[in-house]
Amino acid sequence: MFFWNTWKTLKANGVMGINRRNADYVLKYNKRHLYPVVDDKILTKERAIAVGINVPKMYGVIETEKDIDRFDEIIKDYRDFVIKPAQGAGGDGIIVIADRFEGMFKSVSGKIITRDDIGHHISSILSGLYSLGGHRDRVLIEYRVTPDPLFKTISYEGVPDIRIILLMGYPVMGMLRLPTRQSGGKANLHQGAIGVGVDLATGLTLKGTWLNNKISKHPDTTNPVDGVQLPDWDGFMHLAASCYELSGLGYIGVDLVLDEEKGPLILELNARPGLNIQIANDAGLTQRCHMVERHLAALKKAGRTETVAERVAYSQRHFGPPASIKPKTDEESGTPA
Amino acid sequence: MQSINTHLKILIAILVSLGIAITAYQIYVMEIPLTEDETDDIWSLDAKLEFEATRGVPVKAQMFIPPLAQDYVSLNESFISNNYGVSINQQNGNRRVTWSARRSTGTQALYYRLVLTQRYSSEPPPASTPPLREPIVLEGAEQVAVNALINPIRQHSADIETFISEAISRVNDITDDNVKLLLGGDTSPIAKARVIDVLLAQARIPLELVHTVRLENLPNQEPELWLRSHNGENWLYFHPETGQQGIPDNRLVWWTGTQPLFDIDGGRRGQLTLTVTNSEMNALRLAEMTSNNASSQLLEYSLYGLPLHAQQVYRVMIMIPIGVLVILLLRNIIGIQTLGTFTPVLISLAFRETQVGWGIVLFTMITALGLSLRSYLEHLKLQMLPRLSIVLTFVVIIIAIISLFSHKLGIERALSVSLFPMVILTMTIERLSINWEERGGGHSFKVALGTLVAATLAHLLMTIPELAYFFFTFPATLLILVAFMLAMGRYRGYRLTELMRFKALTKQG
Repeated sequence: MFFWNTWKTLKANGVMGINRRNADYVLKYNKRHLYPVVDDKILTKERAIAVGINVPKMYGVIETEKDIDRFDEIIKDYRDFVIKPAQGAGGDGIIVIADRFEGMFKSVSGKIITRDDIGHHISSILSGLYSLGGHRDRVLIEYRVTPDPLFKTISYEGVPDIRIILLMGYPVMGMLRLPTRQSGGKANLHQGAIGVGVDLATGLTLKGTWLNNKISKHPDTTNPVDGVQLPDWDGFMHLAASCYELSGLGYIGVDLVLDEEKGPLILELNARPGLNIQIANDAGLTQRCHMVERHLAALKKAGRTETVAERVAYSQRHFGPPASIKPKTDEESGTPA
Repeated sequence: MQSINTHLKILIAILVSLGIAITAYQIYVMEIPLTEDETDDIWSLDAKLEFEATRGVPVKAQMFIPPLAQDYVSLNESFISNNYGVSINQQNGNRRVTWSARRSTGTQALYYRLVLTQRYSSEPPPASTPPLREPIVLEGAEQVAVNALINPIRQHSADIETFISEAISRVNDITDDNVKLLLGGDTSPIAKARVIDVLLAQARIPLELVHTVRLENLPNQEPELWLRSHNGENWLYFHPETGQQGIPDNRLVWWTGTQPLFDIDGGRRGQLTLTVTNSEMNALRLAEMTSNNASSQLLEYSLYGLPLHAQQVYRVMIMIPIGVLVILLLRNIIGIQTLGTFTPVLISLAFRETQVGWGIVLFTMITALGLSLRSYLEHLKLQMLPRLSIVLTFVVIIIAIISLFSHKLGIERALSVSLFPMVILTMTIERLSINWEERGGGHSFKVALGTLVAATLAHLLMTIPELAYFFFTFPATLLILVAFMLAMGRYRGYRLTELMRFKALTKQG
């Protein structure tokens, strides 16, 4: 029985399925009324700025068709910028302008885009073409992140980003997402980007996943993806972990980028982070989540909470090299709830 | 979390038990048939009374007819007779019809028909205990013969039951001189019954002669005589000749007492033919008929109490949860991707109009054409609302053209497409095309296929007539459905497609 054997192996490895993620984590830890904070990138950004978390600088917001005229004014000081739907999903509807070209604009890939094209694009975003549920949306114009040259060898166009999954503020798993030719420069796994597991303790990359398979080389550059040391890893971890206080959501995926000049920045938050991160890390999420839940129960009994730094330290202690995902006895994890 | 789980379990238990209890009540107490095709036996009894009327004399024919308070429910009772007045009167638990005419000549034929069924009958009222009676006073030799018979019977019996059996077996021993004397040469069952009556009267045991009819497909039946006595609790039936105790289920009491079946004044050569025929009838229609007759409110508070056109709508509506359940299973357990959650259900409803085969063909065709139009419109950079309106209009035009062509080609089936919900198609096209742009052609093809499969499956399930009947007749089963959906709401196992997706994680290293 293929199905049964696979089922049992997956269960033994603590692999989390969609049903479990929804029932035990998303529905349990994420309060509905807090969703707008993560679904709307403008709100996320405002919150982040308010608590002093690093985000790409916001140049302006367009809310109505009439506001489209303000576009030129918003971007007059910048040669490159990014246009995003505030409530878009999966990286859709995003235009990255790399340069200006004789009154027109040039995308990252060198395609020329006219001012009219941009106006039309903004208008479609406003009408809700890219928003979840198709309702009216806002347009966000922000700083264009320049990826750190470190990623040049293992990335094709686009901006690689780092996804860290947080359970109640504890990082449980991390992944570096690398755009490929197939993904069209987008860092979304289901569009063909590569996910590369990251050792939470050290920031060293592991093997990767591409379209549900395990891989070890980037398909476009053929460079190995593992063994790359991500710079300022502790900075990433702290930045990500502080997103729990920012959003109030217990189970989120935090997307971060590494800018050449500004270092780690928060791009966006996701209340329903995907599950392919497990393939990238060759590890199951369920076991790590259970461990954090036991730790939380023990803390609750002791009547104390942990700070961002303590949470990061806990995760780095326990979710380091992949070997540690195997069930182990841990005096700190307390008795099973 | 634990308390929520307990709460959920209790809720599920309540819903399931409520659903089962209501349905069981409907099935076992109200006896609503489980399937639409379930039929019930219907017996029709035809009695034809023929006689020759005497010229110039008023005619009065009287005949016993079965009393209605029995294990059977009468569906219809009719008296057919030309120029005769009909009246029915009750006496001692019997019913008697009287046909009367001022004058008539020649051979007369009077008809009586009764249609019966056993289902949906109410419990017969408990019989009142007949009073103990005085012994019939006899004289001379007869008294001696009776005494000679009664004494051994007394010795061989313990109670009313054994006394009667003993008396019957004695009377049937026609070699016995005492019996011979009492019978007076007449060995018909009625004569034997009379002698048994005399014997029992000596012991003050009440006895009734019961004339019954067999409910079997038999022409020209003779009423069958049974004896019955009351032991203070219920009626005991005995066959007057064999002494067999207990009456078979298929006997219908026609009348009781010693009087003959019919009685004619002003006529002669009376002859009665009794024919019993059996037919079957749809159990549900039967229920409707009996509820009119028996004033039972059997179906009054079910969906059958609605006006007919409303029933038609509810027959479709009550199946929608089944369709939704199919989508739920396909999405959460199998893991098939569909376009939106309930679009497949809407499409499957649309298949009702077109039949599945045509529905799939038309759906595919219209969606493909619509998608190509949509991708062309994409170049024109139109806003959403105008674009949607154009696609919708285009869908209407395609449907009209398909109808026209198929009509010219003589395929009437495709004409029904005109009711194929256009808005559903338009939304399907729009969402598919967005899907196409965002996730690529392969993904949107997968989603479209998943939607079609889900819709077809849901449609096939929703149109099983037995299932539709079952849910319409026993709507409480929907509670069980809800309970199942609740349980599904906390299902955390893997989806079957996830087993494929995470296959890489089962390999070591």
